[in-house]
Amino acid sequence: MLDKRLLIVSGKGGVGKSAVTAGLALLAQRRGQRVLAMEMGSPGGLSAHFGTGALEFQPREVRPGLHAMQMVRSDALLEYLSIQLNIKGVYGFGPFARAFDALATTAPGIREIITIGKAIWEVKEDRWDIVIADAPPTGQIGSYVRAPLTIAELVPGGKVRAQADMMRDMLADEETTEMVLVTIPEELPTTETLETLEWLESEKVVATPKLIANRILEELRDRTTPPGPLGEAAQLHRALWSEQQEWLERLPPEYKLPYLFGVFTPGEVAARMCDEFEAMT
Amino acid sequence: MTTTLLVTGAGGVGKTTVAAAIAIRAARNGLRTLVVTVDPARRLATALGVTNLGNEPQPHHDEPNLWAAMLDASASWRAVAVRHADPEVATRLADNEFFQAASEHFPASQAYAAADQAATFVQAKAWDLVVVDTPPSGGGIDFFTAPAQMADLVGGRLLRWITGGPLPGRRLLFNAAGRPVLRMAGTILGSDLLERVAEFLLDLRSTYDGVSQRGREIERVLRSASILVVTTSDPAPVWEAIKFYRELPKLATTPAAVVFNRILPESWATAEVPKGAKPVLANNLMRWSTETIRQRDTRDEFSARYGARVATIPWSASPPNDLDGLAGILDDSTGMPWASFGIE
Repeated sequence: MLDKRLLIVSGKGGVGKSAVTAGLALLAQRRGQRVLAMEMGSPGGLSAHFGTGALEFQPREVRPGLHAMQMVRSDALLEYLSIQLNIKGVYGFGPFARAFDALATTAPGIREIITIGKAIWEVKEDRWDIVIADAPPTGQIGSYVRAPLTIAELVPGGKVRAQADMMRDMLADEETTEMVLVTIPEELPTTETLETLEWLESEKVVATPKLIANRILEELRDRTTPPGPLGEAAQLHRALWSEQQEWLERLPPEYKLPYLFGVFTPGEVAARMCDEFEAMT
Repeated sequence: MTTTLLVTGAGGVGKTTVAAAIAIRAARNGLRTLVVTVDPARRLATALGVTNLGNEPQPHHDEPNLWAAMLDASASWRAVAVRHADPEVATRLADNEFFQAASEHFPASQAYAAADQAATFVQAKAWDLVVVDTPPSGGGIDFFTAPAQMADLVGGRLLRWITGGPLPGRRLLFNAAGRPVLRMAGTILGSDLLERVAEFLLDLRSTYDGVSQRGREIERVLRSASILVVTTSDPAPVWEAIKFYRELPKLATTPAAVVFNRILPESWATAEVPKGAKPVLANNLMRWSTETIRQRDTRDEFSARYGARVATIPWSASPPNDLDGLAGILDDSTGMPWASFGIE
């Protein structure tokens, strides 16, 4: 995964998407890559795993060689206009940003293209070896990866259209972009992941995603159930394990991350994920 | 009188299961009970006897006092247009390409649709208890802010942003298109896009009186509802629960309890490995024991810091797939504030 330039990490809410993003970013950093970790959705998830307080639009170095940023749509838009479209001196920031926000709320594709466009622009800038995005959850991810196409349908020509076409090519290029779907072996996350895969298959806007299954229990290689907590814990473990097998069979993942027992803080979770990724790659 | 119980919390914590279990117990206690869910797991929907999406409550085939309804939020958003706009405008809205984008993009829209539908059931006065499994967006906070946000949206906030001034009549749209900001947007995105967006927002604004009046009715229902916040002991959902307690939405009463789901037996926290135990089992017990300690510390910290009443539901290995199984998850629960939703 880390030999790509852009990793888009998505998954159903609550499956550990931000922790996986942070773990991958930490591993890339450990390997000496110049890394940008980007929180695309609402603030909180990713920054908690780095333990360095709230992130801002301007990338901040949270570990040597690892920068992290928070997507802020109005900032990204101004950057896009001034740098990409070369429109200088935008007419009074406040009114402009709000008017555009109104557009972005109602017109399909606009808010998504600004968000995904920022990630692509950071890739093109060559300041980073890899950009790892903590992307919106699977329920919304479709409209983000399809945004260049949506805009192309809306805008017949000109510079914006050309940009959208460029973005579409970069997302579709499997040497450049990889999508990662995080899931856990339970009913709702499995169903939602399968639906997302099917949709991506039909739209063909990105290559088939890599699947990471989180919170995987090891098989307990003992069938006995002694009395007391010793046997109770064995029983629960075996029952949870076989429930997990059912869902893993329906959706076999490329990578499995273990259930983390007794881990307290998001920072510890991310560090453990990083170790796990290192051990398996 | 109808008691309303709002079950909130992050996604993936078993919120829907908890809501269903409470409803079954209430029904078996003799309360006419309706459980309202959003997007349940298939086996849960089957257990509740609702197999097709639809906003109509269906009586359960073998639980006399139980009704269930599954909400379809996209249909509800359309219903807003149909209910509050002129027929002609309603048709135009429903056909509008921006309508769908707005309903997808506007974070409050699904929450509004659910709150609107839930309030309708409460106002029907046909049930003693209405249990609502709220949509997970914003950790449940969106549910309470949705009516006001929705009124604000259709009230023309976005339209004012586009026109840059007071609420315009239809002809003022041309002035809007003349604003430098928007001329630029027009150059970038095609000149008629803005006009189409503004026309859509004008149509939407015509529903303002209806939506804001309805919003106040929904808020009355929310203000008198009991609230349960459901979470597991994992950092992410606990964080959402903390956010709910910290920010306590204006319309929400103090939650009756925070319910920690998937709780391990307290005795495991101090369990010692018996002499002669097989290493593989001993190792397993130790792992689950550290997990039990982590869970307990998380709960203790939560109640100490936020003064919350803490309830627990044990971790059951296989998710329940029938009514008895669902009701059973509460058999070994602790601290459930039954009285606050009228259950003995």
